[in-house]
Amino acid sequence: MWKVRDDEPEYAFVTKADAPEKNQYGTAITLVESNDKLAGKSLNINFDSSIGDNPDRYKQHGFYFNADNCIACHACESACSEKNNLSPHLAFRSVGYVEGGSYPDYHRLNLSMACNHCDDPVCLKGCPTRAYTKFAEYGAVLQDPDICFGCGYCTWVCPYNAPQLDPVKGQVEKCNMCVDRLEVGLKPACVASCLAGALDFGVIETKPENRDQLNTSIPGFPDPSITQPNIRFQQTKSLPNEMARTDSAPIRYSKNIETGVYHSKVLKDPEAKAEWNIKKLSSREDPLVLFTLLSQLAIGGFLFQFFAPHFGITTISLTHFPTVLPLLLFGLLGLQSFALLMSTIHLGKPMKFYRGFNNLKYSPVSREAACLMIFFSFLGLYTLMSFLPVLFDVSSAKLQTSLTMIGWIASIFGIIALFFMHKIYRIKARPFWNHWQVLTSFYGIMLSFGGLVAGVYLGLAHLLFAQTASPVLEFAAAMILAGVLLEATGLFFHARDMHKQEGEGGASHYQQLTTFGKTYWLRNILLLVSIAMAAGLALNILSGLLFFLAWGLIVVSVFLSAFIGRSLFYVLVIPTTMPGAFFWHNKGFEQHACETGLADMPQVGVIPHGH
Amino acid sequence: MLFGRSQKNPIKIADKAVVEWKYTTCGYCSTGCSIEVGLDESGKAVASRGAASADVNRGKLCLKGIFEHELFYSANRGSVPLMRDKFYDEFAEVSWDEALDKTANEIKRIQDSYGRDAFAVVSTGQIMTEEFYTLGKLTRGVIGTNNYDGNTTLCMSSAVSGYKRSFGSDGPPGCYEDFEHTECLLAIGSNLPEQHPIIYWRLQQALEKRKFPIIVVDPRVTMFAQMADIHLPVTPGTDVVLLNSLAHVILNEGLEDEAYIKANTNGYKEYKELVDQYDPTTAAKICGIDEDTIRNVARLYAKAGSAMTIWTMGINQSTHGSDGVVGINNLNLITGNIGKPGSTSLSITGQCNAMGTREWSACSGLPGYRALENEQDRKEVAEFWGIDAEFFPKKRGLFQTDIFPAIETGQIKGLWIIATNPMTSMMNTSRIRKIFEKLEFLVVQDAYADVETNQYSHVYFPAAIWAEKQGCFTNTERRVNLISNVLPPYKQSKPDFWIFNQMAKRFDNGQKIKFPEDTEGAFDEMRELSKGRMLDYSGLSYAKLEKQKGIQWPCKEGEETGAQRLYTDGKFQHKDGKAKLIPLPFIDNNEVPDDDYPFWLNSGRVVEHFHTRTRTGKVGNINKFSPTAYMEMNPDAAKELGIKHSSYVRLTSRRGDAVVMVQLTQRVPPNMVFLPFHFYDCVNRLTLGLLDPHSRQPAFKHCAVKIERVEDQELAAVRNKEARTY
Repeated sequence: MWKVRDDEPEYAFVTKADAPEKNQYGTAITLVESNDKLAGKSLNINFDSSIGDNPDRYKQHGFYFNADNCIACHACESACSEKNNLSPHLAFRSVGYVEGGSYPDYHRLNLSMACNHCDDPVCLKGCPTRAYTKFAEYGAVLQDPDICFGCGYCTWVCPYNAPQLDPVKGQVEKCNMCVDRLEVGLKPACVASCLAGALDFGVIETKPENRDQLNTSIPGFPDPSITQPNIRFQQTKSLPNEMARTDSAPIRYSKNIETGVYHSKVLKDPEAKAEWNIKKLSSREDPLVLFTLLSQLAIGGFLFQFFAPHFGITTISLTHFPTVLPLLLFGLLGLQSFALLMSTIHLGKPMKFYRGFNNLKYSPVSREAACLMIFFSFLGLYTLMSFLPVLFDVSSAKLQTSLTMIGWIASIFGIIALFFMHKIYRIKARPFWNHWQVLTSFYGIMLSFGGLVAGVYLGLAHLLFAQTASPVLEFAAAMILAGVLLEATGLFFHARDMHKQEGEGGASHYQQLTTFGKTYWLRNILLLVSIAMAAGLALNILSGLLFFLAWGLIVVSVFLSAFIGRSLFYVLVIPTTMPGAFFWHNKGFEQHACETGLADMPQVGVIPHGH
Repeated sequence: MLFGRSQKNPIKIADKAVVEWKYTTCGYCSTGCSIEVGLDESGKAVASRGAASADVNRGKLCLKGIFEHELFYSANRGSVPLMRDKFYDEFAEVSWDEALDKTANEIKRIQDSYGRDAFAVVSTGQIMTEEFYTLGKLTRGVIGTNNYDGNTTLCMSSAVSGYKRSFGSDGPPGCYEDFEHTECLLAIGSNLPEQHPIIYWRLQQALEKRKFPIIVVDPRVTMFAQMADIHLPVTPGTDVVLLNSLAHVILNEGLEDEAYIKANTNGYKEYKELVDQYDPTTAAKICGIDEDTIRNVARLYAKAGSAMTIWTMGINQSTHGSDGVVGINNLNLITGNIGKPGSTSLSITGQCNAMGTREWSACSGLPGYRALENEQDRKEVAEFWGIDAEFFPKKRGLFQTDIFPAIETGQIKGLWIIATNPMTSMMNTSRIRKIFEKLEFLVVQDAYADVETNQYSHVYFPAAIWAEKQGCFTNTERRVNLISNVLPPYKQSKPDFWIFNQMAKRFDNGQKIKFPEDTEGAFDEMRELSKGRMLDYSGLSYAKLEKQKGIQWPCKEGEETGAQRLYTDGKFQHKDGKAKLIPLPFIDNNEVPDDDYPFWLNSGRVVEHFHTRTRTGKVGNINKFSPTAYMEMNPDAAKELGIKHSSYVRLTSRRGDAVVMVQLTQRVPPNMVFLPFHFYDCVNRLTLGLLDPHSRQPAFKHCAVKIERVEDQELAAVRNKEARTY
C-alpha cells in the first residue's frame, strides 16, 4: 500500500464532492453497489491483499484538465514517469499543444493527456489477449503487461495514444490511474505534481474548487463519442479561429463559427508536390503487408482450385492432376505458414502467439486469428489428403466426399477470416482505414492473387501436359478481373470519400497525393493495366504474342499494385490522436532522430530503427 | 458496463522500495526547494520528492527536481584527477596529490613570473556557501589574486549592482509570500513558468485565493505573457525607457508616495528632472509600448495598495542591466513599495546558490557583503583570518567578463575554473576558444569530465555533486537551507570544500589561516563574521535549518527564525540610512537589426534544461523534451526567406555563424528569433554581449543576426548531431 506522509499536503488528497447519478453520456457513475460481487475485493497491488478505504471506491473517477491554466511545465509527465519508473522513450502522460494567432496576439493551448479510463474502452474490446480490465474500483481501465503479447492493436484503437508499445520489452504498458495512491485517498502522482492549477482528479462530473466548466472536449481533443472518455475540461479563454499543430501531422484545427467547436482539417502545403518516397513505404507494419497479402493469396488460390470445377473447369481435379494439384496446395500452405509467421514476428512476444485467441467475444483480432487458424488447419488437412493417392493406393474418387467437406469448411472460414481481418481496420480513431474499401480490397486481392497464382500455375500445367489451357486461363482472368475491379471500385470511392473528408482521413489522403503522389499514381495506373489485361484475357480477345505479353504484364501489375497499395495503406494512416510537441511525440522528429543518429543516445527518448 | 476479466491477476505497479528518505535542497535553480531523496535497501538513490512541510515548495518539485536522484549516476562523471602538459595532449590519470601539487606549483610559478594577479579564479553559483567562503579565504587570503569572480556575472551581477546602488547593499528585500499580499505584480523579463516553475506555482496559488493584476513585460509571448492581464511586448533593451516613463506618469499625476520619498530617499530632484524627459509619447516611440498602455500600467501600479516587481535575465542581461534594476527600485521607492507585505523589488535568481556566492565568496569584495574598498571591512576580515590587512587589494579586481579579455591580451596567464562552463555559456564562442588556447595553465574543477571547457584544461579536478556533500544554499528570498550528503562522493571525486582545503595547505598563508575540517566549522566562522550586520547568520545552525526546512536571513542570535523582508523600517544600507533615487539617462548602444543583419537575436532558458546541460542533457526523461538545439522563428518572416518548419538554417552575426533547427511560431515577432542558451556550439557562436558599465554583465539578449536557408540539410543535421555529445 502506498504510504501517506504524516505531513502530506492537502492538495494531494482526493476531495469529496457530490456527483450526479449519471454522467453526461447517461452512464451510471456508481459502477457497482457495495454489495455487488465485484465489490469489497482487494486490488492485490503488488500482492498486497489489503482493501482500500476510499469511500468513493466504486465510483467512476476521471481527470480534470483546466486548459486555461496549463503552462506545459512537464511536471505531470515527469512525476508519472518517475513514479512508474519509465524509460525515456515511454510516457503514460504526455503534453502536446496547439497554437494560433499572430504576434503578439498569440495563443498556445497545452494539452496534458493520459488514459481517460473510458466508459467504452475500445482497448479492452480490441485486445486479443484480454490484457485489459475495467475495474469496478474507480472505473480504472488497467492493462496487464504480463498477459499482453505486444501486438499493439490497443495503440491503434485508442484515440488518445494512452497505451504505450515498448519496442524494447515487446509489450504495452499504460497509465494505471495510480490506483495504489487512490486506495489511500491520494490523487494520482501527475495531479499532485501539477504546478499551474491545470490538472485535477476526482469522481467524474464533479468540479474542482474554483472551476466552472465540465466540458467533454477542447480543441485538439479527439471526438469523445468514440470511447466516452472520463475526462472533463475547462477552457474559457477565447482562442483564434485557426489553431495549428507543431508536430509533423498535416492537421490543423478550425472553429465552426456557429457551434464554436473546433474540427480537425487538412493542413495543405501550397508548395507540396507529388513525390515518390519509395523508401518511406517501409514501416514497422511491413510484416503485416506480407501477412495480409499472402493470407489473401492462399485463401484465393484455394478457392480457385476448389470452385473451378463448379464453373465447368473439370480438368482441375486430382484425377487429371494427381501431383500438380497437391503441389499447388502445398505451395499455398507454405505461403499461409509464412504469412502466419509474419504476423507472429510482428508481435512483441512472438512465443506468446497462442494468447491471440483469448478475446473471441469482442476482439476482431482474436476472431480473425481463430478463423484463419481453422482455414489453415483445414487447408493442411486438405493438402495432406490430396497427396494420399500419390503416396498410397487410394483412389481420388474415394476421397472426394471428405475432400469436399473439408474444402467447404476451409473456404467458408477463409472467407470469414478475411471479413474479420477487415474488421480489425475499421477503427474510428483511424479514419483512413475506417471505410468499406478495406473489405473490397481484401476480397479483391483474394480474387486477383488467387486467380493469378493458381490460374497461371494450373494453366501452365495444362500446357505442359498437353491439355487445352484456355478454359482455365479464361476462368483465371475472369477471377482476376473481378478482383481488380472490386479493388478499383473500393479505391475509387475511398479516394472520393477521403478527399471530401476533413480531418485525419483527409490528411492521410492528402499525403497520399503529395508525399507519395507519384507512387500512388503508379499504383492506380498498374491497377488500370490489370483491369485492361484481365478483361482482354477473360474475353479471349488477345492472341499470339499479345496473349503472352498480357499475361506477363498482368503478373507484374497485379503484384506490384497490391504491394504498393497495401504499403500505402499502413504508412498513410493518421490517427485522431493528441497533438504532439515540437520534439516529444512528433513523428517527424522521431524519424529525423533515427536518420541522423540522434536516437542512438538513449536520453533523446527515441528508439532507433531496427529495434 | 463492460468490465472484462473476472479472474484478475495482482496489479503490478512500480515500487521503488524506498527504505529511507534523506533531506536536502535542490541543486538546480535558486527557488530553493526542499527535496527528499529516496534510497532503497542497497543504498541506491531511486526517487526524489518535494519535502511536504517545506515552506518554499510545499511538497512540489519541477521536472528537474523530480529526476534529481538520477544525477548521482550521470554518464561521464569525473572519477579521477587528470593531467597533461598541453591541452592537445592526451590526459593521464593521476593521484590527487600530483594534481594538487602541479596546480599549486603552476599558480606559484605564474604569480612569481607575471605578478600575483596573473592567475585568475572563476567560480560559480553552484557550490555551497561554506565552499564559497572557503574559496574566498583561499583566493583573497592565501593565493592573493584580485582577479577572482564568479559566473554570476553572467546572471545576477546587474541585480547585485542595482541593489547596491539603490539600497546601499545587495540582498533581495522581499519573499515569495509577498504574492499573498500584493495588489499588483509587474514581471519584467521573467518567464516564471519556464524558469522558476515552483515560484510560478506559489503565484498561481495566491491567484486562486485572490485575483490581482499581472503585468508581464517581455518581447516574446511566453506562457507567462499569455497568462498575464497585460502583456507589454517591449522593444529589446529599452526597459529603462519604459521604467522612466512609468515614473514620469506617476510623478506628473501626483500618484507617488510623497511621505515615503521624503522620509527614506535621496536624490529626488535630479531624478524628477531626468524622468520629466520621458513622457509617454516620447517613450512609446523608443520602447514600442503605446502611450495609453504606459499610463494605464503606471496608474495601476501606483494606485495599488501594495505592488511588487519581479525580474530575471530580461533585465539583468542588458547593457542597461544595472540601470534596469535601479529603475525598478526607483519605481518602488517613489510608490513606497519596499519592505512591506506585497511590496518589493524581487530579483528572481538563477543558480541554486548564486545568493551564497554574493554573500560569502568574496568575489566582489570580502565575505558578508563587505567591500575591499572599505578599510574597516578589510581590517575586520584580516583580523578574523589572522593575516595582514595589507595583503588585500584596496579595490575590486576584474569581473569574469573582463578576466577573459585580460587573458586574450596576456595580463592573465593561468586560470582556475570551478563548476562553470564558459565554452558554452560565454558570448562569442570563437573568441573564448582563442582565449583558452592562450592560457599557460588551466585547471578545471567540475563534476563532469565531459564539460566542454575541459577541452582546454591542463589539470582536471573531479568534483562531487550537490548532495554528495553537506552545506548550505541561499535562495532567491534569502532563505538558507541545508544540503545533506545523501550519498558519498562518486569514485575518487571530492567535495569542492576538500579540494580548497587541500590547496590551501600548499601555500604559506594557508598554513597561517585556519581552514576548518568540515563545512559546519566554516559555517560557524560565517556566523561569527555576520554578527550585527544586515546579513546576519548568527541565529542559524544546521540542526535548525533542517528542522525548519530553511530559514531566511537576517536571523540574529537568539531569534527563533528569520525575517521575511528587508528594509521594513525604511532604513537602508547607505551611510545616511536612505535609499537613492538615481536618474537613468538612456543611451542606445545595443547592436540593433539593420539591413545586413535584420533580426534581433534573443536567448533564454527552457524548463527542461539547466544552464549548459551538463546535468539535464543526460537525464533522458527531461532531456527528451528538447534533445537538440532549436530556434523559434516567426512563420511570416520564414516564408519570405523560404524557410520551412523543422528544417535547419544558418544564422550569421558579426561574430560567427551557427546552424540550428527551426520551430516556426507566432510566439516571436517577425523581426526576432529566440534560441535556448543551453546548447553547446550554438547561440553563443553569435552573441555580442556588450557589457553593462556597472555590473559588467553581458547583454546576451541583444544582438543582430541574419538567417539563410541551408541547402545541404543532411550536412547540417550531421554537424548538429556532432555538437550533441550529451
